Amino acid sequence: MPQPDTVWFTTMLTVSDLSKNYGDFVAVDRISFSAGDGTVFGLLGPNGAGKSTTINCIAGLLKPTSGHAAVAGHDVVADGKAARSNLGVVPQELALYEDLPAIENLRYWGRAYGLTGQSLDTRVDEVLEHIGLSDRAKDLPKEFSGGMKRRLNFGCGIVHKPPVILLDEPTVGVDPQSRARLFEMVEAERDAGACVLYTTHYMEEAERLCDSLAIIDHGKLIAQGTVDELRAKLGARDVLQLTGHFPVEPTKQAISALIERGNDDLEFLSQDADSITLTLSQASQHLPAIFEAVTGTGGSVTETSLRSPNLETLFLLLTGKELRE
Amino acid sequence: MSFALSSFRKDLARWRQDFMATLIWVAIPLMLGGLITILMGSEVRPHGVLLLVDEDETFLSELVVGAYSSGELGEFISVEKTDFDDGLERVNEGEASGLLVIPQGFAEAFIESEPVTLTLRTNPSQTILPGIIRNVTEILLDAGFYAHQLFSDEIQTLTSMTEEPSDAQVAAMAVAIQNKIESVAPRLFPPAIAIDVVEPPHAEPSPPLALLFMPGVIMMAVVFAANGLASDFWREREQGTLRRLVSSPALLGEFLAGKALAAAAIIGLVGGVTMVLGFLYHDITWVHLPVSLVWIAVSGVALFAWFSALQMLFSNPKTASLISMMLVFPLLMAGGSFFPLAVLPDWIAAIGRASPNGFMADRLTTEVTSAAPVAIDLSSWVIVLAGAIVGLVICGWRLRTGFARA
Repeated sequence: MPQPDTVWFTTMLTVSDLSKNYGDFVAVDRISFSAGDGTVFGLLGPNGAGKSTTINCIAGLLKPTSGHAAVAGHDVVADGKAARSNLGVVPQELALYEDLPAIENLRYWGRAYGLTGQSLDTRVDEVLEHIGLSDRAKDLPKEFSGGMKRRLNFGCGIVHKPPVILLDEPTVGVDPQSRARLFEMVEAERDAGACVLYTTHYMEEAERLCDSLAIIDHGKLIAQGTVDELRAKLGARDVLQLTGHFPVEPTKQAISALIERGNDDLEFLSQDADSITLTLSQASQHLPAIFEAVTGTGGSVTETSLRSPNLETLFLLLTGKELRE
Repeated sequence: MSFALSSFRKDLARWRQDFMATLIWVAIPLMLGGLITILMGSEVRPHGVLLLVDEDETFLSELVVGAYSSGELGEFISVEKTDFDDGLERVNEGEASGLLVIPQGFAEAFIESEPVTLTLRTNPSQTILPGIIRNVTEILLDAGFYAHQLFSDEIQTLTSMTEEPSDAQVAAMAVAIQNKIESVAPRLFPPAIAIDVVEPPHAEPSPPLALLFMPGVIMMAVVFAANGLASDFWREREQGTLRRLVSSPALLGEFLAGKALAAAAIIGLVGGVTMVLGFLYHDITWVHLPVSLVWIAVSGVALFAWFSALQMLFSNPKTASLISMMLVFPLLMAGGSFFPLAVLPDWIAAIGRASPNGFMADRLTTEVTSAAPVAIDLSSWVIVLAGAIVGLVICGWRLRTGFARA
């Protein structure tokens, strides 16, 4: 089981051995991670990997089958109300009253978390300013653009200044401008000291926002660490992707022969009849030999792609499949 | 409790955005109630016109004319003298209930005991008033026959005189008539048949039918509103706000209390508008209004809670709405919204009173038709309040067991 190797000053979110089963189906399988204040922790994985189930267990929407989760030291099952009081949830789907003015949405959710009177009014004004909707405060969300609704959805999740914020794929279906605005808002919350749990299947978001992250697939946590730590797992190797037609077994044997001839850091990431993905150092220098080996088996190359390693590559290395498959 | 008030205000604010639905909840019952009230509400006493052609114009024919327009009969029938052609035309055009022709020589024939024919034509488009006229005419003829039999000697004496009778003859005739009356008086006054007059127990006059219909119309508005408001749980679920609520520390009980309060206010308003119009139309004492308003508000919350619980049992909003609507119309039918329970056969009315809205409409009828300012009994209040609480508890259970989290 991977363990976090970073020490947090104040741990605000702890998940230990968390599992969630639906009958025989294991949606989340003994996941453990923790996140501290003033950081953004990314939960990365393809659709159906178990990210939302994990978030729902932390938010109290689902009861874990086993294991524990704690928010600001409060167990989400045993001390649910205290845990939820310290939590702000920004769900993947919008959760707004479309027929209630934006300011009233914020006030209502503020009251749900116990804010009242002057402190509520002040905080609602701050949030409206923060999400850039001060001039549309009295308008109904049903008249808003998609990006404005997303911002209000975010505002409703942070109106009570929670120390822990759960963001479940907040940028799905959002235009680039609104996405950039959301990133700024998340960074502002982090800078203000909040612990942010951010789920996404966009690698570039994780690379930009997350201080540390965990990669999850089929309910299991398959890697964890800071972005740099995870990149280091790939070393300085490039990623070479060949597209065309390749007989599977002869191609595999030809590449294996190349490795045996001294190309020690050459490694298969994936292979099928239409594409081959390899990692190796200084790939450009080895291209002629690789081409010769592949075409010698009767294969043909129609497209070649060479790129530096990133989290997408790591996911491919760990799971043998693309993140957005 | 502050979150309950917050939820209450939130639902009222959202309801204002959907005001058209409220208009429909009020308009349909009002239209239906208005139509039926117009049909049932004009309770005018029947009054007919008897056209009379007096071709005899004697003292006896005048007595016949007077018999139709005297006493209580005069409240139902007006007698108008006319000629035959005009009378016939008016009866044929339906302007009168009957045409009675007293032929020339009627008095003479009566005195001489000779056959005479009174012609009565009745209006075929009417039933009750021509029947009354026919019965009165037959009674008059019977009375004339018996009078003729009783005083036949005196009539014979009068008709045989060729000259004006002397004072002595008049006096003798008067004495003879008096003797005959005195001889039959012991059998007539009091009547030989002893009659025990048994008066029925004093009963309150039954309220007009249109008034009995009013509570059913009000309950129709309440049922529409309760069913419409119940669909808000599905709307909230689809908007994702129930999930957000469950992940907050707010209590579901307070959220439900806020919803129930909002339902009470909205249903009170919807039912109240219908009720005030009914009170104005039927001239009901305003002292009944506060109790009636509270009754429909509490009843409305009970119906809202049960409709909500029912709708939350289904897996999608379309099915929930369809099943709920399918239930509404049989409920309205059974509960006296289309036919007042008071005019239905006893066994059907008993079923209607057992339906939730029929029970509520029945108690509302009691309230608005009673002389006492508070006529709904305590047990009825307890039943409706308990129904509301049980319904809300089921809603809470459903929210906690997955409906809100989905």
